[in-house]
Amino acid sequence: MAATACYRGADGRPGSDGATAGTDGTATDGVDTGGTDDGDLPDADLEPAPPTIHRLTQAQLHNTYLAVLGTPLELPSDLPADDLLYGFTSIAAAAATISPLAAEQYEAAAYQVLDQVWSDPVRRAALLGCEPADASDPCVAEFFAAFAKAAWRRPVATEEVDALVALSASIAADLGDVSAGLKHGAASVLQSPHFLFRVEIGVEDPNVPGLLRYTSWEMASRLSYLILAAPPDAELIALAEGDELGSVEAIEAQALRLLEDPRARPALVGFFRDFMNIAKLDALDKSVEQFPQMTATLGVSMRSELERMFENTVFDASGSFRELFTTRETFLNEELARVYGVEGVVGPELRPHTFADGSHRAGMLTSAGFLAVNAHKTQTSPTHRGRFVRIQLLCEDVPPPPEGVDTSLPAPDPNAPPQTLRERLEIHRESPSCAGCHELMDPIGFAFENFDAIGAWREVDEQGLTLDSATQINGTPVASGAEVGEVIAQLPQAAECIAQRFYEHAGAHLVEPGEEGAVQELVDTFVASDYDFRSLVVALVVNDGFRYARAEVGP
Amino acid sequence: MNETARDRYMKLARRRLGAPATRRTFLRGLGGVTIGLPIFSYMLNDHGEAFAGGESIPTRFGLYFIGNGVHMGQFTPSVGPDWQPPAGGSLEPLVPLKEYVSVVTGMSVPTPRHPHHSGMSAVCSGGPHLKIADVRDTIVSTMKYPSVDQVAADYLTTATPTPTPYRSLEIAVTRFRGTDEGTSFQYLSHNGSVAGETNVNPSEESPHAFWDRLFNQGTVEPLLRKARASVLDSVGTQIQDLEGKLGTKDKQRLDQHLTSIRELEARLSAPLADCEPPADPGEFPDIGSNEQVVEKNAVMTDLMVLALACGLTHTFSVLYSTCGSGAVFWMVGATDGHHYLNHTEPAPWTVGAAVARFNMEQLAVFLTKMRDTTEGAGNLLAHSSILVSTEHSEGWTHSQDDMPMLVCGHGGGRLRGNVHYRGAGDNTTRPLLTALRGAGLPLTEFGYEEGYTNAPLAELEV
Repeated sequence: MAATACYRGADGRPGSDGATAGTDGTATDGVDTGGTDDGDLPDADLEPAPPTIHRLTQAQLHNTYLAVLGTPLELPSDLPADDLLYGFTSIAAAAATISPLAAEQYEAAAYQVLDQVWSDPVRRAALLGCEPADASDPCVAEFFAAFAKAAWRRPVATEEVDALVALSASIAADLGDVSAGLKHGAASVLQSPHFLFRVEIGVEDPNVPGLLRYTSWEMASRLSYLILAAPPDAELIALAEGDELGSVEAIEAQALRLLEDPRARPALVGFFRDFMNIAKLDALDKSVEQFPQMTATLGVSMRSELERMFENTVFDASGSFRELFTTRETFLNEELARVYGVEGVVGPELRPHTFADGSHRAGMLTSAGFLAVNAHKTQTSPTHRGRFVRIQLLCEDVPPPPEGVDTSLPAPDPNAPPQTLRERLEIHRESPSCAGCHELMDPIGFAFENFDAIGAWREVDEQGLTLDSATQINGTPVASGAEVGEVIAQLPQAAECIAQRFYEHAGAHLVEPGEEGAVQELVDTFVASDYDFRSLVVALVVNDGFRYARAEVGP
Repeated sequence: MNETARDRYMKLARRRLGAPATRRTFLRGLGGVTIGLPIFSYMLNDHGEAFAGGESIPTRFGLYFIGNGVHMGQFTPSVGPDWQPPAGGSLEPLVPLKEYVSVVTGMSVPTPRHPHHSGMSAVCSGGPHLKIADVRDTIVSTMKYPSVDQVAADYLTTATPTPTPYRSLEIAVTRFRGTDEGTSFQYLSHNGSVAGETNVNPSEESPHAFWDRLFNQGTVEPLLRKARASVLDSVGTQIQDLEGKLGTKDKQRLDQHLTSIRELEARLSAPLADCEPPADPGEFPDIGSNEQVVEKNAVMTDLMVLALACGLTHTFSVLYSTCGSGAVFWMVGATDGHHYLNHTEPAPWTVGAAVARFNMEQLAVFLTKMRDTTEGAGNLLAHSSILVSTEHSEGWTHSQDDMPMLVCGHGGGRLRGNVHYRGAGDNTTRPLLTALRGAGLPLTEFGYEEGYTNAPLAELEV
């Protein structure tokens, strides 16, 4: 990795005033500098998003309670829901407030976890570091300084500690119980905005006018919550104390270390769950009359299968995200095996299964979860399946039907011979107001018509009509659903899209125009790594768009 | 501290209303620590219309939302007083309640339109939706202004004599939530958005959780309540200290956090309501993938009506189904989600019409329970004003003209009931203003931007 920063012109834009050569003699124009070899200063044309505070998601909150209070800990389940905005819980968490109901839930949760520690004298003493006889014991202030620092992921000011000590003393006096006073002081720490939100606001840096640089403490949090959904560990805290998380090398080394932590798996699976919109599977709603395979837990099994497929591909197999489109390696339990028509799998546990070469199944696009979540209760939807591929996997725009357009399909003519859904959808091609958009979606979906609304293979539709799944995707002929993944995986947009979505997830905002260069760097690094997902994670955390924020102008 | 949309509204409202009535805890004088509701007869004057001390029985306000419109051909009743539904029409289930139900049709959404989004914000808040961004194939939006339940709550918590532990309560019946297009596809009650923050009051959809929250908290020692309140006070200080370091949007978010903390703190210092706790209703899991809508509706209705009757709140919202809902109304023959059904069922839309009628039956369950809850010489429905709305007229066109709306309850004698007012493209905010006036808000105008109106529906008022 080159250590030198690229030269900037007088106005900070390479090439804008003719002074385009780097001080080290390297021409910068037209050279792809890759993800990290611009050193520690951001590209001059970078205009990242303004900083924001992030409300902890349920998983992040659970891990933070565990980090602060230790195990065993029964974690509160009645917590504010993780919403989705633009498909991502992370983005919703950067827009959400705390409603009166949420405040009530956080309050109850704080006492619920603290009571578990306080009811065990040994554990309580270990947390407090002493058994203070009264609230003026110096160890009380030491406890709150350490406890708040761990809970708030930052150094704590003396006045903040003093306020907590005073609060505890006052409550201890009211209740006649020093220990109860301390517990209530700790409850204040666990209901604080500094605990419930990740407060990352950046600092001004004379080297980067107009931008804010995330501090080492903030970078420790950003790294750790992104990769582990957990607060910084001891090593990250030590680096933050020493202000050593300002360099690309240090951040990269930490990211590589964190990716080895077992908690990285569920945390990154969380991104994949949002990316594929499969949390919805937990409320899978399919007709039991039509689909005897349907059970109350089938949707969860479908989601788990896709998540295991992601985890296995990314962490245990080749690491290539691209392979998710084509892999024959998956994980089945009994109810999934019934959908797939696989014999001999018994019980609810998922176990590895390899589909034979030439089978109908290859990659996540032929998984029951993808096929079922993008279908209706009884019927398939070539439009929804195609739309998902276009919009979610290729980041293309498909406009909605114009207002006032009758979007219902004409009822089948009772005197005409029966038609397949595909034949009925042909009307979209005949109508000029439908054709433009449906031409993008329907043909991809036709390839999956041999998979019913629950994702099981079928030769004929509900009426007994033979299905035709031969189609074209961007001009490439496709004979069946199992071939779609390979075609999609080869499209450059697929790699660009996953990188862009990961950038949006990590920064908790949609890509802004001033970030296009940063995203392009990320894409280039991802492609150069042969679509290695963990390399994408590392490239992301050293990306300038993740390390800098835009200073808000005005009051 | 930056003022929130609600603060701005309240400032305006106070200017219009004059100073809010003094908050009085009418039963403190009885020496108890509890507010004794349901309203027992011994508290009332001889006519049963007011408390012995002269305070009137509080008027409640509700916002009730049913997603995806109706079937206008089957919905629209005869115009004028004593409306009659067409034979077999969707409003037939409300006929037994019609002295309490006024129908409003012919209203048009006046704000810039977008399918679902603008209709939802117009009929719930009287203002435009706030587009946060264009995304993928649609937009993501939230409500720019507070939904009317929160407007009513601002008034009812300050202007009525009875303090309530909860400023408002929110429930949902069906479980489907849209997750792709912003908050108004998932939530009903909103606090408004100044800078793109999302600020909602989530609806409780679990009967067990709602019961647990309202009726199963046990008693807490006064000293412990005081300790918890002190902790919340310290959190409030932390929020205020942090706000100064944040940008506009984040300040708005922390403003709401502070409001929420203060509300919780006030609840801890307020007297306890004295409700006879009902039994735990449990949960209602799907049976064979069929959602138990009737059963959930019945039990959520019971819990909310009890909460209103015993003074836990004066303001409520019911998200029966979401804007663009995908709930499957299997019990009337639907095999796919409501929104999809609307888009795909060919004429004559038999199942769609059956769903619209079924939804009115479920509304009737709620209103009937309100009516059958005696309160003084009247009943809870007589002392309520409830706006019922949906985000477009008919699902297959997504039209936002000829919007079907209802104003229910007698608003403590302010609303006539049993009238069908049919407008000619009037502003959808008119029934919102009327319903708010029905709850006693002395407003002569309401709404925001294109949604503004100064014309309540006099035909519906006494």
